[in-house]
Amino acid sequence: MKSQPQPTPAQRVKLVRTFPRFNLSQRWEHAVLLLCVAVLLTTGLPQKYHTTTWSQAIITSPERLNTIQQIHHITALVLTALVLYHLGKAIYLISRRKLPGDMLPTLQDIKDAWAMLLYLIYIRKQKPAFGKYNFEQKVTYWFLFFSLGIMLVSGYVMWFPKVVTRLIPGGVIPGAIMAHSTEAIVTLIFIVLFHFYHVHIERLNLSIFSGWLNEEDMRTYHSLEYRQLVREPHSEQDSGVPKA
Amino acid sequence: MFKLPLTRRLPAIFLFAGIILISLLWYVPARASEPEQQTEEYCLTCHSQPDLKMTLQNGDVVPLFIDQQELAHSVHSPIGIECEACHTSITTYPHPPITYQSRRELSRTYYSACQKCHPDNYTRTLDSMHAKAAEAGNLNAPICTDCHGTHYIQPPDEPRTLIPATCGNCHSQEYSVYQSSVHGNALSQESNPDVPVCTTCHGVHNIQNPLTPEFRISEPDLCASCHANQSMMSKYGLSADVYSLYSISWHGVDVSIYKARWPNVQHTSAVCTDCHGIHDIFKPDDPASSVNPKNLLVTCQKCHPGVSPNWTGAWTGHYKVSLQRTPFLFYVDSFYSFFTPLILWIVGIYIALQFIRFMVDRVRSSL
Repeated sequence: MKSQPQPTPAQRVKLVRTFPRFNLSQRWEHAVLLLCVAVLLTTGLPQKYHTTTWSQAIITSPERLNTIQQIHHITALVLTALVLYHLGKAIYLISRRKLPGDMLPTLQDIKDAWAMLLYLIYIRKQKPAFGKYNFEQKVTYWFLFFSLGIMLVSGYVMWFPKVVTRLIPGGVIPGAIMAHSTEAIVTLIFIVLFHFYHVHIERLNLSIFSGWLNEEDMRTYHSLEYRQLVREPHSEQDSGVPKA
Repeated sequence: MFKLPLTRRLPAIFLFAGIILISLLWYVPARASEPEQQTEEYCLTCHSQPDLKMTLQNGDVVPLFIDQQELAHSVHSPIGIECEACHTSITTYPHPPITYQSRRELSRTYYSACQKCHPDNYTRTLDSMHAKAAEAGNLNAPICTDCHGTHYIQPPDEPRTLIPATCGNCHSQEYSVYQSSVHGNALSQESNPDVPVCTTCHGVHNIQNPLTPEFRISEPDLCASCHANQSMMSKYGLSADVYSLYSISWHGVDVSIYKARWPNVQHTSAVCTDCHGIHDIFKPDDPASSVNPKNLLVTCQKCHPGVSPNWTGAWTGHYKVSLQRTPFLFYVDSFYSFFTPLILWIVGIYIALQFIRFMVDRVRSSL
């Protein structure tokens, strides 16, 4: 083993204190969700906008259409498994009284949203201080939560109409078709405008992939959580950085 | 020049004149009574005999009688188009020998004469299902004269009921089914000028095979040519939106994709006739109608075997979204017509405000 050369001040590594934000399961869930939604949109939108040229470039033959529908169905099954896993995990955590509850909407979120609006129209000078999940992130989660619910239910109604009409009136089928088609667009618009703005334009927030946030982001965007963590640090958050 | 007295010259003159007169007698009858544009009169000198007929080699008896009265009321004779126009090979009497084996062979040879004056329609028939049947060996496949007649040709659509009757000569089963349908019944009972007759849907001279994918894919357009016509439909209290509502339905979207992209590929999504019937179309409130509520499930089950009675509720039935007919769809539609713009506006305004504040702060801090 060669001895490490003494680093010059310029080469000195900048130490960044990190804070865990998402555990491995949550990161995997997001990655699978992202892939599923991407595949479902890629295979679904050409079917909805079948008169456009870009759709016709994708759906070139009845066989291709059939393949695209099969991919859509298989991906829907993966997404269903993901949703069931997510719900199952939540139920398990609730039964163990271990569900963190950070994501549950509270009255404070409405107050925060109001304060944020006042800040955006220059009535307030300061942004409201947020905890682990701010109201924007909660809106994103719960919007997608219900959106996926609608997409999955309506999707299965369209996939298995014969079974569905044995149980409930046939009138739900055209309703499901309309809901599936429209909800997909609403969700797409929401993700692109709301979610992409917050994680790509406002700042590049990759914590859902890496699992951690740096100290500056914590202080800026999650000041309540940051203060709480710094005051009573947990042992697993010790990144070896000497306390200032 | 030597001269003979007149009395000596007379025998030679008589001989010469006699030769000329005799030769005229021998020659004239064949030529002299063939006046231009008077062939009809000439031919009728023989063909007006009611019992005139001939027997062909296979035993077929061809009546050769022409009814002068009827001929005078046909479309051709009064405008000077006479026998020889079609019977081009017969210019003399006695006629050239007949070599046709059968009456059908005779007809199939003669009908090509129609081409002389009607080249467009004649050419169209060559592209027809009937011509293809003939090419495949069915010599009974119709030719011009089978539908239009021969000597006593009348306008083919006067009266209009004549058209289905003509087709019905061969297609008797379809004709009787059609006659009992809503269209056929209106034609025969009310002389309705709007209802389709055979040729309205199948075409006239270039009649195509209605079992091809191409025919099937364009079939909704065929029905729409009347049923999307607002002024025509309002006369009968019918909705002219049936086609536009169909084309946004599950079946209609599927069909429109195939029509635009793959018209030659056989598809299975329902077109008008799959539910309403083809020649046997009835009013939906007629108990015989395949789309009568009592029969609808059976009609759906033709393509969707084993579906439960609830299934028919999935069909929105050519009606606009309404609370009475399709309550669930109505609520979904109402929800999204409110929810979609709401989300779009809230998110759009919120992000716009955020972006403005974000950029302003950034510019300020860099100053």
